[in-house]
Amino acid sequence: MGKTADLLPGTLDMLILKAVSLRPLHGYGVLLRIRQISGDALEIPQGSLYPALYRLEHQDLIAAEWGQSENNRRAKYYTVTAAGRRRLREETAGWNRLASAIAAALKATSEEV
Amino acid sequence: MLRRFRSLFRVLTGRRDFEARMTEELRFHMEQYTCDLVRSGVRPEEAGRRARMEFGSVNSVKGDCREARGLHLFDEFLRELRYAARLLRKTPGFTVTALLTLAVCLGANLTIFAVIDSVLLRPLPFPEPGRLVTIFNTYPKAGVERDGSSLTNYYERRGRIPAFSSLAIYRYDTAIIGEAGTTEREPVARVSPEFFSTLGAGPRMGRAFTEEETTYQTDSVAILTDAYWRQRCNADPHAIGSQIRVDGVPRTVIGVLPPGFRFLSSEARLYFPLSSRPEDRMPLQRHHGGNVIQTIARLKPGATLGQAQSQIDTQNATLEADDPQARMMADAGFRSVVVPLHADHVAAIRPTLLLLQAGVLALLLIGAVNLVNLLLIRAGGRVKELAVRQALGASRRYVVSEVVVETTMLTLAGGLLGLAVGAGGIRLLAVLGAGRLPLGGGIAFDARLALAALAAAIVMGIVLAAPIAWFNLRRPLGNALQSESRGGSSGRAAQILRHSFIVSQTALAFMLLAGAGLLGLSLKRAMGVSPGFRPDHILTGQISLPWKNYRDRAARLAFVETLLDKIGHQPGVLSAGVASNMPLSGKSGKSAARVKGHILRPGESPRGHYAYWVGGDYFGALGFRLRAGRFLTAADSRRTERVCVVDEDFARYYWPDSSALGQRLFEGSDEGVDAEAFTIVGVTGRVKQAGLTDDTAQGAIYYPYVFRDDSNIFIVARTGLPPESLGLTLQKVVRQIDPDLPLNDLQSMETRIADSLAARRSPALLAGLFSAIALLLTAIGSYGVLSYAVAQRRREIGVRMALGARPEQIRSQFFSLALRLLAYGTILGVIGAWLAGRAMQAVLFHVPALNLAILAGAAGVMGAVSVVAGLLPAHRAAKISPMESLAGQ
Repeated sequence: MGKTADLLPGTLDMLILKAVSLRPLHGYGVLLRIRQISGDALEIPQGSLYPALYRLEHQDLIAAEWGQSENNRRAKYYTVTAAGRRRLREETAGWNRLASAIAAALKATSEEV
Repeated sequence: MLRRFRSLFRVLTGRRDFEARMTEELRFHMEQYTCDLVRSGVRPEEAGRRARMEFGSVNSVKGDCREARGLHLFDEFLRELRYAARLLRKTPGFTVTALLTLAVCLGANLTIFAVIDSVLLRPLPFPEPGRLVTIFNTYPKAGVERDGSSLTNYYERRGRIPAFSSLAIYRYDTAIIGEAGTTEREPVARVSPEFFSTLGAGPRMGRAFTEEETTYQTDSVAILTDAYWRQRCNADPHAIGSQIRVDGVPRTVIGVLPPGFRFLSSEARLYFPLSSRPEDRMPLQRHHGGNVIQTIARLKPGATLGQAQSQIDTQNATLEADDPQARMMADAGFRSVVVPLHADHVAAIRPTLLLLQAGVLALLLIGAVNLVNLLLIRAGGRVKELAVRQALGASRRYVVSEVVVETTMLTLAGGLLGLAVGAGGIRLLAVLGAGRLPLGGGIAFDARLALAALAAAIVMGIVLAAPIAWFNLRRPLGNALQSESRGGSSGRAAQILRHSFIVSQTALAFMLLAGAGLLGLSLKRAMGVSPGFRPDHILTGQISLPWKNYRDRAARLAFVETLLDKIGHQPGVLSAGVASNMPLSGKSGKSAARVKGHILRPGESPRGHYAYWVGGDYFGALGFRLRAGRFLTAADSRRTERVCVVDEDFARYYWPDSSALGQRLFEGSDEGVDAEAFTIVGVTGRVKQAGLTDDTAQGAIYYPYVFRDDSNIFIVARTGLPPESLGLTLQKVVRQIDPDLPLNDLQSMETRIADSLAARRSPALLAGLFSAIALLLTAIGSYGVLSYAVAQRRREIGVRMALGARPEQIRSQFFSLALRLLAYGTILGVIGAWLAGRAMQAVLFHVPALNLAILAGAAGVMGAVSVVAGLLPAHRAAKISPMESLAGQ
């Protein structure tokens, strides 16, 4: 396990949407997937994962369905909805704008001022 | 937003599922994580511990999940509900009192509102009922307020008044239906062809009447109501084209009306065309309405009542221009008035209903004040508890919502009980004859009313919560926590509030009591009025002679003579007579008469008088008083001389200083040839014609029966037996003479008189009932508040008694408080009673707004009740033992 970073507030929803947009996942799977796609850099606090999932489901951004897990257990699988996909696109674009703006700001040298 | 609601709704409906699945999902997570930890080399027991640690508190995660779903509000609400239920269970005395108060008050309101709803509020069951109007002729200066319309009016108006899209006339009647021996008299309506299209509701099967069917030669068609079709035709789908026998003549059924069809309060079960002869439609007949034919019309979309009225006025003016009677009609104040159909139909009963609704609202107010007082007292007992909870962080919002939940729960439960009370009340009203009110047939307890009642209960819960929430939030926390007694001195404002509530309650109850007294006195005075004849031991009934067999006067007279002869020979019959109408029958039989030689003063018009055509020993049977001359006898119908009898009002109007005997008069408004004049041979005492409370001295004329052209006759028989026992005998006698003739409407005269007072008796009874409840509520209220005052000051009383105060002093202190509240309440109540009495003048009979006896009586009753309610707590205060009260704290 490499060095992990703390999540910025408001980014958890985005990451969950991203994770379930790749393929349907159960809650624990979301946790693993985010860790995996972030190259083990992001660690989700386990206690806040489920309230976030429930909130997204309540907002109809993700949908849930009960299914079989890899080891044949009943598990609740989340998939992204059309509205969720739209939200993910918007948030990704927003994030990218913000990130590049911050990066540009941080790159500034004294000559450019 | 909608989506979230749906999600919340889904979760609420499957709440148990939601919890189970959430638990399962979280357990799955833990197990997977534990497995993964074990796989990565952690020892199993260590893995479980670490998984739990990293996950954090499962309960708080669950709480967060519920909140994410919007469930926390619901949970909080449930918690408050449980808390409120627990509090209410802990004080059963309070809860039961409150529930009963609410049930009675809301139930009484529901009952009266059901009547108001049916009679005043619910629109008539026709499309766009607001556009339906009625038009009637009025001749106020001749003493004829309402004279319906004439056929001439109808033929002159239809199609010529631009503000109306349609205009029709109708006339209520009865007809004898069926084959010989099995005939029945049925209420029917005769209507013009546009009647149904004006209403916007026509036959469900078949067709409406046509223009060609309005003459006597071509009118043998009928339209059946659904009820008649079901009962008499066995709902035969091929009934159209079949024949029924009406007054001995076959008519073809051409239509069947839809099930819900009912025109105003009409009892009509069959509809026939309103036929007439061409000469009945001539200008000379324009003022011959006689209040028999009525007009309805439908305003064109966008047209107003005002436009219609001015168009009618203009037309009347144009027509009257070349009318020889015009001058006379103008002197009589003639006008044709256009009024909304619904409002006109219920105009007479409206003030009474509104009065009753005001009465029950006052009752509700008393009940609400009672509840607020009781709730305030309860809140007073929980000051400390609330203060502690607020100090521990309960928000103001929470304190308020807790009160609202509690009071609303209470009022809703009371409202549910109130539904039962209301249903019972509506039953009671049916017994009191509410079904006979205009549109009273529609009074029913339905889902709409129930919902309205529950909505009112919820609103009441919120309103009741306001003063309690204010009380709970008002005080500074520190004070409440420090003060060691229950209320402490900071309850001063609350005490004033409680006492002013008692005062207002007393005032309202006093008002109700005085109002009920006024209605009762008014009823008593009405019942005390002599009808002008002896109403005991009289049986009355109605017969309608069909035109087919009784075409001319001779045939009708022959029937009447045979009938009276046979009735006179029945055992127990003392005397019998017939008449075209009867006092208190509800039918106003006014018509014009012209006295020979009477010169109309300027502005005076020929007067409308009650006119009766009587046969047999009518006067003797009813027990009229004779003032001068003689009564008419059976022989007067056989003789050729025209004679008549008038009443003393008539005689006094025309001959204030001389005798009426020997004077002559003409039927109708014109002076005719001498041969047509009737000579007055007798003057009777005054008889109440339209009702016992009718004070207008309109005058009446009695003609011999033979001069009457009408098929409807009333029979009156005086007997030595209980009058009802004679009914079967009379019916048998009539059938013996003509097996086709049913004798209906058999009632004793005393029943008729009692029925004529129903519009006074029922409101008086209800008002009496309401004020009894109000008294009880006020007593409960005063008792509760005074008891509380005693309980609150136990310590003070104990100290004072320990210092030597005598029990009598304590007792009189509290008792005088009760008397003070009573006095203030009574003073306000007198003012209120005066205002109420003034508002009630329209429904009172010979009773002024302020009646000293009634005020004194109300004050006496109020005082007695308040004294009892005040004595008990005062007595208890005097019995407080100083030791106990001081040790008890």
